[in-house]
Amino acid sequence: MLEINNLKSRIGDTEILRGLSLSVNAGEVHAIMGPNGSGKSTLAQVIAGHDDYVVTGGEVTFMGKNLLDLEPEERAREGIFLGFQYPVEIPGVNNAYLLKAAVNAKRKHQGLGEVDAFEFLKVAREKMALLGMDPKFLNRGVNEGFSGGEKKRNEILQMAMLEPSLAILDETDSGLDIDALKAVAEGVNTLRAPDRAIVLVTHYQRLLDYIEPDFVHVLSEGQIIRSGDKSLALELEEKGYDWVREAANA
Amino acid sequence: MKQSALSIDDLREAVMRLPDDSLTATREAALASLDEQGFPSIRDEDWKYTDLSSAIDVSNRWLAQGAKTESTDALRKSIKAITASIDAHWLIVANGIVDLTCFGEPADIEVEKFSDSATPFVMDRPLADLNAALLHDGLRVQVHGATEKPLGVLLIDETSGGAGVTQANVDIEVAPGCDAEIIEYQVSSGSEDHYANSVIALQIDQAAHVSYVRIQNRRAGHIQTARLSVALSADARLNMASYDLGGGLVRNDVDIDINEAGADATFNGLFLAGDGQHIDNHTRVEHRVGPASSSQEYRGILNGRCRCVWNGKAIVHKGADGTDANQANHNLLLSDHAEIDAKPELEIYADDVKCSHGTTVGQLDETALFYLRSRGINKRQATQILTHAFAADLVARAPVATAKDAITALVEKRLGELIKEEDL
Amino acid sequence: MSSENIESIVNRRYEHGFVTDIESEGLPPGLNEGVVRAISALKKEPEFMLEWRLQAYRQWLEMREPEWAHLHYPPVKFNEISYYSAPKSDEDRPKSLDEVDPKLLETYDKLGIPLHERARLAGVAVDAVFDSVSVATTFKEKLSDVGVIFCSFSEAVLEHPELVKKYLGSVVPRRDNFYAALNSAVFSDGSFVYIPKGVRCPMELSTYFRINAANTGQFERTLIIADVDSHVSYLEGCTAPMRDENQLHAAVVELVALDGAEIKYSTVQNWYPGDENGVGGIYNFVTKRGDCRGDNSKISWTQVETGSAITWKYPSCLLRGDNSVGEFYSVAVANNMQQADTGTKMIHIGANTSSTIVSKGISAGKAQNAYRGLVKVMPQAHGARNHTQCDSLLIGKECGAHTFPYMEIKNPSARIEHEATTSKISADQLFYCRQRGISEEDAVNMIVNGFCKEVFKELPMEFAVEAQALLNVSLEGAVG
Repeated sequence: MLEINNLKSRIGDTEILRGLSLSVNAGEVHAIMGPNGSGKSTLAQVIAGHDDYVVTGGEVTFMGKNLLDLEPEERAREGIFLGFQYPVEIPGVNNAYLLKAAVNAKRKHQGLGEVDAFEFLKVAREKMALLGMDPKFLNRGVNEGFSGGEKKRNEILQMAMLEPSLAILDETDSGLDIDALKAVAEGVNTLRAPDRAIVLVTHYQRLLDYIEPDFVHVLSEGQIIRSGDKSLALELEEKGYDWVREAANA
Repeated sequence: MKQSALSIDDLREAVMRLPDDSLTATREAALASLDEQGFPSIRDEDWKYTDLSSAIDVSNRWLAQGAKTESTDALRKSIKAITASIDAHWLIVANGIVDLTCFGEPADIEVEKFSDSATPFVMDRPLADLNAALLHDGLRVQVHGATEKPLGVLLIDETSGGAGVTQANVDIEVAPGCDAEIIEYQVSSGSEDHYANSVIALQIDQAAHVSYVRIQNRRAGHIQTARLSVALSADARLNMASYDLGGGLVRNDVDIDINEAGADATFNGLFLAGDGQHIDNHTRVEHRVGPASSSQEYRGILNGRCRCVWNGKAIVHKGADGTDANQANHNLLLSDHAEIDAKPELEIYADDVKCSHGTTVGQLDETALFYLRSRGINKRQATQILTHAFAADLVARAPVATAKDAITALVEKRLGELIKEEDL
Repeated sequence: MSSENIESIVNRRYEHGFVTDIESEGLPPGLNEGVVRAISALKKEPEFMLEWRLQAYRQWLEMREPEWAHLHYPPVKFNEISYYSAPKSDEDRPKSLDEVDPKLLETYDKLGIPLHERARLAGVAVDAVFDSVSVATTFKEKLSDVGVIFCSFSEAVLEHPELVKKYLGSVVPRRDNFYAALNSAVFSDGSFVYIPKGVRCPMELSTYFRINAANTGQFERTLIIADVDSHVSYLEGCTAPMRDENQLHAAVVELVALDGAEIKYSTVQNWYPGDENGVGGIYNFVTKRGDCRGDNSKISWTQVETGSAITWKYPSCLLRGDNSVGEFYSVAVANNMQQADTGTKMIHIGANTSSTIVSKGISAGKAQNAYRGLVKVMPQAHGARNHTQCDSLLIGKECGAHTFPYMEIKNPSARIEHEATTSKISADQLFYCRQRGISEEDAVNMIVNGFCKEVFKELPMEFAVEAQALLNVSLEGAVG
């Protein structure tokens, strides 16, 4: 589904990704771990198409299409979803309104008709019930005055509504207490599907107790220096990132 | 609206009587310019709330009496008291006459008189013209390195035997990368009416940092118009706090020019006004390039029959992207006869900016008052505590440590006079 | 022919009772006492009205055009303007929509304006074909049942002279300002509303439903009186660009709210803003003021200003009555070469008065957009409250956003809060929306509408929807 080959990227004059390769197939859950500044979030932003990041080398294809040629909204409509580490507040813009516009933009792209307000609200309420969210959130401004946990849950709601092929969740666990973490993880688990891939970007192993990954990758200085199964995450937790780095350098 | 005019003929005579030196040509040019522009009037937007008629009146009387300027014994005493209270290298302009006796010999500060060089100075508006026209002499100061003691600029006036008018002009440059502390102290006394008009220009060179404290404690009824122009080069930093405690009619103009990227100007002010006072603080920040930041907070406490003005203006020029400009002004009005006129202005011609301003006028926080009272403190005491706290916050921000004790004492004393027991 | 000659002809003609002569022609350009007399005569006004106009004219002669606003435009040549033009004959107007500027039609399309409305807005000579006359008649009946007077200003002068005499100029005096004086001398027509004691006006009144409103644009005069404990909501303007040949507009609106009365006045202004290069466009110099004359009265202004090349407008409230309330909600958009200097004045006079100001300014293109406001608390205004929120949004590198708030507080019990922010649409917000599949243009519209939400929610429902669409059209091409 997603093929990344020798990807290089910089922000300003700082090179962050230095030849990163990764392959993600449908139905898989990948966890990308690494210390602060290793390039985890950059990878997420580059896949989503943030223009602060300049791609200086390598290829990224998504379902056979050259992703780097596409605008952010085109990538989204093709089925890429980024759950933001810091979901932005958009004052005055109704949460339901944004979501409906997003759903319809994607449907239009797929050649489907728009959903009407009634149908949309019905589905939205169902998904919210599933995520244990108060339906009142729909009528509030996008992330406006939301707590950290509410923002993250709202991201998962958007993911549930947009039904992406590839979901990248950037530090979805950061700033969450244990209850919120569980709720978010359950939400993600219900969205696991054979035709969907999920990439979890995380600093800690904690999230992986609740969402079990098929693969774990360790990112350091802009490259994946080690890959393995979920036991790698546990090992990291125990031995720290220096251990992998040393092992990689050895 | 009747506006008295300055008697230009008398002024011309006064200018002619000044010593014939290297400043003569400048004085004459300034006089011509002043004659052409006239004094500011309340019809000018910048002077909407401040009427300078009384300054014109004092000036005319002083001119009519022969425009005398001289030092007195009482003045020597006051100078001694102040220079003893704050340890600094003091440059003094006493009754308009430059005095270097308390300066000492700091290695890293160079001083010369305007009359010894051909230093041109700012003449871009009527009060600067008046200053240039009547100026005996000014001081040009260059700070080359960090000094043990702060640089002090004492503008002191003592009237006797008739109305007085004095001018002071100091031009300070702080060299690249240098840290400097500066104290500006304006004070006056004496039985007669007085009008002091000053211009201080401060150039902060690349990556230099300046901590600046201004204290204004003129005698009740005395008039002051003071201009401070600060220009900041790349990565230069200004941290300033000003304290207006005394005076009758006081108008301060603080102009800040951010000319190069990376500069930061923080300037705060406290004004305490009681019966018969009119204190007007006009600030103007020109963001000519970005990124750069400016931030100001002025607080006022007004009691009795008085009027204060705060007009903060931030101008972000085209292309000054990355500008971050903040203005805040908070006022406590404690009397039925006090008036505050606040005008926070933003003029923005660039889009990548973050600008904000906030102004409040009101009384002490009811919740805080209630909190204190619920802890057993009576209302009078609680009011006093909170009013002092409102001022103390700005005293705490005085960036020159040497001056802090003096400022604390002056503010406490003034607050004590302003907030009398029977008011509470 | 020199202007002096024209003037002398106008004056001479007047002596010979030229009224019938010019009715079909309009008056030649220029302004003098003869013209003022002629306008009054044409409208068959009673003596008191003519006197009032003449005094205004004489006062205007002594006044100077204000220059303090943050606006730059070539001087208006007051002697080249025609101060009365007869209703346009059908021959001068487009015969059908085919003759109307296609750009204008395109805009109507985007705004979803109904077909029959498009003709009216574009000035097509089909005036009475659609239903507005019969609609208006139905409404008139319903209103007169409860005693509400809603008619053209001209009609009011003839039918209700006692009310006009009592209230005209009582809020905006003739010599209040240069443009108000000019309007007082030469106003053409406008609306008149009187809501009797205790009546809650059964419907929202709108210029849309006013018959006999043709050609009132240039110097419009509106007077609304809400008697004790009455309530009225008035909508002004239209949401589509109006075809209009008049360069200068100088309207005056006066509102009077007596004890316990409430007036809500909503405006959507979308006069022609000129083209991208600043050619053409309306100069809009408006004096709007509400007088909360009675205790417990309330006046609320809501405006969405997207049109005009120049906007000079400060809908204000005099809070005279104890416990009276003033509100001002504004969205002002300036794109391309537009210039706006708008805001409000809240004058607190009575005890325990309160006011709220919410201003949202949006600048795009090369436009200059200024908020100018005054909050004044008089010494006797005990317990005054004001909260002002004043936000500017910048779109593009060449526009300007300015804020000039004045606070003059003379009472120690006042609580005044003023907050202002200026920012651009954040890149993070845009990227977030785009990551959800929403195009950049839609995202900008969404964010701008969100920015204006506090104001839109004050508009009557159907107006709010149109205002949003209008905003999107006004900002077209601003992001790119």
